[in-house]
Amino acid sequence: MPNRKQPPPVHIVSDIPFIKPKGVKLDNGLPVYFLEGGTEEFVKIELVFFAGSYMQVKPLVSYATSNLLRTGTDRQNREEINELLDYYSAYLNLEAQKDIVSVSIHVLNKHLEPALQLLRDMLRNPVFPEDEMRSFLKNKQQIHLINQKKVQHLARTYFNELVYGEQHPYGYRLKPEDFECVERSDLQQFHQYWFYPENGFCIVSGRMPPKIEKTIASYFGGTDWKNIDKGKPPVYPLLTSGGRKVSLSVPEAMQSAIRIGKQLFNRTHPAYHRLKITNALLGGYFGSRLMQNIRQEKGYTYGIASNIVSLLRSGYFFIATQVGTDVSQFALEEIYNELKDLRCRPAGKDELQSLRNYLSGSFLRSFDGPFAQGERFKESLVFGLDFSHYEDYLKTLGSVTADEIMATAADYLNEDAMMEVVAGSQ
Amino acid sequence: MLEYEKHKLSNGLRVLVHRDETTPMAAVNMLYDVGARDEDPERTGFAHLFEHLMFEGSVNVSRFDYQLQHAGGENNAFTTNDITNYYNTLPARNLETAFWLESDRMLGLAFSEEKLITQKNVVTEEYRQSYLNQPYGDAWLLMRPLAYREHPYRWATIGKNIEHIQNASLLEVRKFFTTFYHPANAILSVAGHVDPQKVFVLAEKWFGGIFPGNGYLRQLPAEPSQNEERKMMVERDVPQHQIYMAFHVCGRSHPDFHATDLLSDILSNGESARLPARLVHYRKAFSEINAYVTGNLDPGLLVISGMPHNEVDEQEAEDMLWQQAQELVAEPVTKRELQKVKNRVEATHTFAQSHVLSKAMNLAYYELQGDADRYNRQMDAYLGVTADDLQRIANRTFKRGNASILHYGRPARP
Repeated sequence: MPNRKQPPPVHIVSDIPFIKPKGVKLDNGLPVYFLEGGTEEFVKIELVFFAGSYMQVKPLVSYATSNLLRTGTDRQNREEINELLDYYSAYLNLEAQKDIVSVSIHVLNKHLEPALQLLRDMLRNPVFPEDEMRSFLKNKQQIHLINQKKVQHLARTYFNELVYGEQHPYGYRLKPEDFECVERSDLQQFHQYWFYPENGFCIVSGRMPPKIEKTIASYFGGTDWKNIDKGKPPVYPLLTSGGRKVSLSVPEAMQSAIRIGKQLFNRTHPAYHRLKITNALLGGYFGSRLMQNIRQEKGYTYGIASNIVSLLRSGYFFIATQVGTDVSQFALEEIYNELKDLRCRPAGKDELQSLRNYLSGSFLRSFDGPFAQGERFKESLVFGLDFSHYEDYLKTLGSVTADEIMATAADYLNEDAMMEVVAGSQ
Repeated sequence: MLEYEKHKLSNGLRVLVHRDETTPMAAVNMLYDVGARDEDPERTGFAHLFEHLMFEGSVNVSRFDYQLQHAGGENNAFTTNDITNYYNTLPARNLETAFWLESDRMLGLAFSEEKLITQKNVVTEEYRQSYLNQPYGDAWLLMRPLAYREHPYRWATIGKNIEHIQNASLLEVRKFFTTFYHPANAILSVAGHVDPQKVFVLAEKWFGGIFPGNGYLRQLPAEPSQNEERKMMVERDVPQHQIYMAFHVCGRSHPDFHATDLLSDILSNGESARLPARLVHYRKAFSEINAYVTGNLDPGLLVISGMPHNEVDEQEAEDMLWQQAQELVAEPVTKRELQKVKNRVEATHTFAQSHVLSKAMNLAYYELQGDADRYNRQMDAYLGVTADDLQRIANRTFKRGNASILHYGRPARP
């Protein structure tokens, strides 16, 4: 029998097999990056435009514009588009976020060209049929109403409003009537303003078929793809006011959803990597202090986590959990204790070493394969960064000390500055 | 083609290895052949509670998660009605840590009464979070006993009620372990940057000395065939009505399984499939609609569920679903429609092979069904399905007497 008292030796990962992206610029200004790798014969083509909800002048316009790209082009109607996408088993994903819109397709190489043709038509010549738009918004309005019954959804949306204010697109909380105010012309204009080559980029990842660069250029190149009217990014002041609390009463809720956090900064900030590591210690993984205390010791919750979110013009920190309504006061107390502890109690030698090991393994996992690397590359590119950003993170991870973590917590995560939302029955 | 090597230890543990040198990672999957179907009807939810306890300390390791994270790894587990599956991903260089940890908790558990109490509370919160405090969250707690009368699929993995979880004792936990958690009742699979021969050596080293355990003979009551339509209505505070329809179909090992799966794909896999294309987009009667097979090892269900818009009468909405089902009985699907769902299955199968974790999981899961090579052969089985097969199965499946229907809705209008 092996000696079970003695753990096998552990090696720390320090070399990440970064795929070097090959970048080209098409004649119309669209930057395209290729990340080659993988074992199976399929690729992901992703086009990103800076056309998120920040750019819209009316709620839901970015979301509706991107989601309705698939409902009709100058060549095909929704039914035909869906049939072709399904027949060629091309998985189309349309995602509207705060800053960007992402349009991507996963497809077997043998079906690449018909899929690219569809993608090109959707991006360049969508028609946004009126009835498709109404029906889409009606269905989403129903989902919105269902979400209003979920304590975690309420906590999330009220929290964003608290952190950024109701006027700011990062903080705006959707109302049911918003789904009835969108006009077809809003979508046409939004598309015209923001979906053009110089306002985005393209990432191709996977095991490439031969001549992929030429193929991509033939579908997405061409100087006739340009916008006549350019949109002007709106300017919203960032408000900050700390220490506010909101309590939402949801009668008969069995659990309360808790969200605690504050406005901070994004990944271009010099303290970002240190903050990311500090956050991980607090609530960024299963071994974190919050998870160990509030789930594993107290059994108050199925899960608790903290996160930092990077937005193009800001960033924020939050802790989120759902706890039994009978223990929500105890849980809140423990959360604030952990926040205080983060700046007062240094991470022990083992705790810090374990955190370092976990984060480096987790980092390696997040770079596993061309699709994961494409995702990481996109996240950096949006902020004008490249893979050296991640190399810096690894350096910080190797060198950060317990004192630096406490200082970071003291600078940015003081419990008195936090906003708090609790949604549940009191 | 997912290539692998297989080795069986003398204590009965089956080990399967897939080598993929394009990744620096390794996935280690441990499947135990025990699920909610093996529970005492008075102690439901036990297999899942037990899954939580597997992380709370073993003979030589007090903190499983801590040790795995220390090796740069991440892990989780899930329990279904059929199996309990534990999985780890970690840098391939630290593979042995996963073997140390997984083998120690197969050797024996060692946790306190307090940890049992804490995990009962965690699972109770999970019950509330996922089933009770969500709109429509309890629908399947209602549907299972409607569709199944005898077979243990009549309860959900989370359990029939919270009391069953709260009543579990340490003694019962020990007995469950002895019955189900031993080498002959488990399958270990590894995928990633590894050498299969070295993995077999590690398996012998860490698992070879574990006592084989006593065999477990599974004797579950077969579900008697259904002869009458079953209907249930509940009123809840939800913004929209939802209809669930379940039809008994074959289990995974049955030769008709692939055709049954494709039949549900014809109905709802992709936006162009019949239910979304016709009832959501064309008739605009539903806002959401879905069809799938549960894919259980024992005979499972083909499920159709949909949310009609509030101005649509609930019975008319149900009739529309029946009409779509009956059309599959009356007419064969078109050649292009059949090819389309086959293309989608092919793509999904290929995409799944780009992750070491899904490769490891599939190896173990298909080995449980008799032979891991079934995973590679299943694509041929899907491609061989004909329009006649689909019609034959639709004819057998979509009958009133084979349907269990739940109307989950808002209080009746005055």
